[in-house]
Amino acid sequence: MPTRRPAAAFTLAAGLVVIAGATAGLLLTRHPTPAMRPVAAGVAALPAPTGPIVAPPQSSAPKPAAAPVLLTIPLIGLRTSLITLGLTSSGALQVPSSTAVAGWYTGSPRPGAIGSSIIVGHIDSISGPGVFFRLDELTRGDKIYVKRADGTLVEFRVTSVQSYLKDDFPTEDVYGPVPDAELRLITCGGAFDAATGHYLSNIVVYATETS
Amino acid sequence: MLLAASALLLGIPAAATAYASSATTGTGWIRLAHLSPNTPAVDVYLYSFDNSTAMIVLHHVAYGTVSPYESVPAGDYSVAMRAAGASAASQPVLSTSVTIAAGHAYTVAGMGPESGLRLQVLDDQLTTPSGQALVRVIQASLKQQVVNVSLGSTTLASGLKFATVSSYQAVSPGTKTVTVSASGTTATSSVTLAAGTVHTLVVLDGASGLEVISLEDASGSGQPPLGGVSTGFGGTAAHGPGSPVPWLVAIGAGGLLALTGGLRLRRGRQLSAGI
Repeated sequence: MPTRRPAAAFTLAAGLVVIAGATAGLLLTRHPTPAMRPVAAGVAALPAPTGPIVAPPQSSAPKPAAAPVLLTIPLIGLRTSLITLGLTSSGALQVPSSTAVAGWYTGSPRPGAIGSSIIVGHIDSISGPGVFFRLDELTRGDKIYVKRADGTLVEFRVTSVQSYLKDDFPTEDVYGPVPDAELRLITCGGAFDAATGHYLSNIVVYATETS
Repeated sequence: MLLAASALLLGIPAAATAYASSATTGTGWIRLAHLSPNTPAVDVYLYSFDNSTAMIVLHHVAYGTVSPYESVPAGDYSVAMRAAGASAASQPVLSTSVTIAAGHAYTVAGMGPESGLRLQVLDDQLTTPSGQALVRVIQASLKQQVVNVSLGSTTLASGLKFATVSSYQAVSPGTKTVTVSASGTTATSSVTLAAGTVHTLVVLDGASGLEVISLEDASGSGQPPLGGVSTGFGGTAAHGPGSPVPWLVAIGAGGLLALTGGLRLRRGRQLSAGI
């Protein structure tokens, strides 16, 4: 049966090729993919935005602040429009459907009014950096600007940057009342759990209106 | 005994309410007020304990003025009042010390009649029961020395004496009418109290009768979101090596394929040798 010999030789060769390919694949995928890190030097800092900066609120004559529309953090080259966010049916904070914009929680005070105003944004999408990718580079004293619907600008100064496990999120610290005009920027951070598709921690940037 | 125990129980969470923002940076808040009706305007100075140069100076503070809160490092301070325009080096009319704890807020107010003026340090609350607002009343009317204050149908203070402060009361949020009544006179005003806010109502002697001002002391999210925030999809996260199982299966399948081919090849040779 001479016709069977080429078929058998082909099967043997195919088997050996598969073994070689799969072995190469196995060896090449044995190292982890490192986290993508921002290249700080490569991104030029944005100029600080311009606009009338209104005086801090006086307790005796609280001025209604207009809704926030634009967030700028020149140091990390961030400039994003702000959408509005509410709560999900389970009571969690909604997040922007786009990873490229940040959003203001309408249940929190408006930036520049007395209290802790909440703005959230994504650290990344499934494929690359999101709007708040470089948030954890901020340190005490860095400036944050929020432009409001009436054209006024509020300037904040970072007071602290914290990382919290989501399972141990300090709700009262982040959302509770404060007696001056403050801002909280929230994104994800820490370890990524590939099984659930979620980061295990939240990064919170605390800032206070400059007076 | 029971009271002491409950105070102790209440005291523990109260001590734990220092805010991460301020607790980690070690700052608290202070504001200064002039609430003595017959005392002329004053200059108010805030000194850090170990510094003779004033940290904050408020000039020409008249009766009824309450400053915004200032964020300051936790520690010991003194507050001094001088007549408006008096030299900063002159002997103060009045001074008091105040210890500012991280994450806590204080009001230091000049209170009482001019003849008995004193600086009172008030510990201002920064937490509200979920979904509610907190309100207290400062009675700073000299003309009406005893007042009753109600918010809608809720009594906030009854028989509140001049230069005293009511305790905080939790109320449901909404826009309500504040009614201040004293012997033969009544004053009303409308206030909006959002959930998660703390307010101080101050009863003052106005140009004609009683006046009420409403101060929003602190504000947060009336309905705090639950848990953490899902703000990432992992596109920039570190990933561990993928599972080796698919590769091992492929190697096994390749092995089977090669084995089958090899066996057939061998059998073919044997057959041809046999012929």
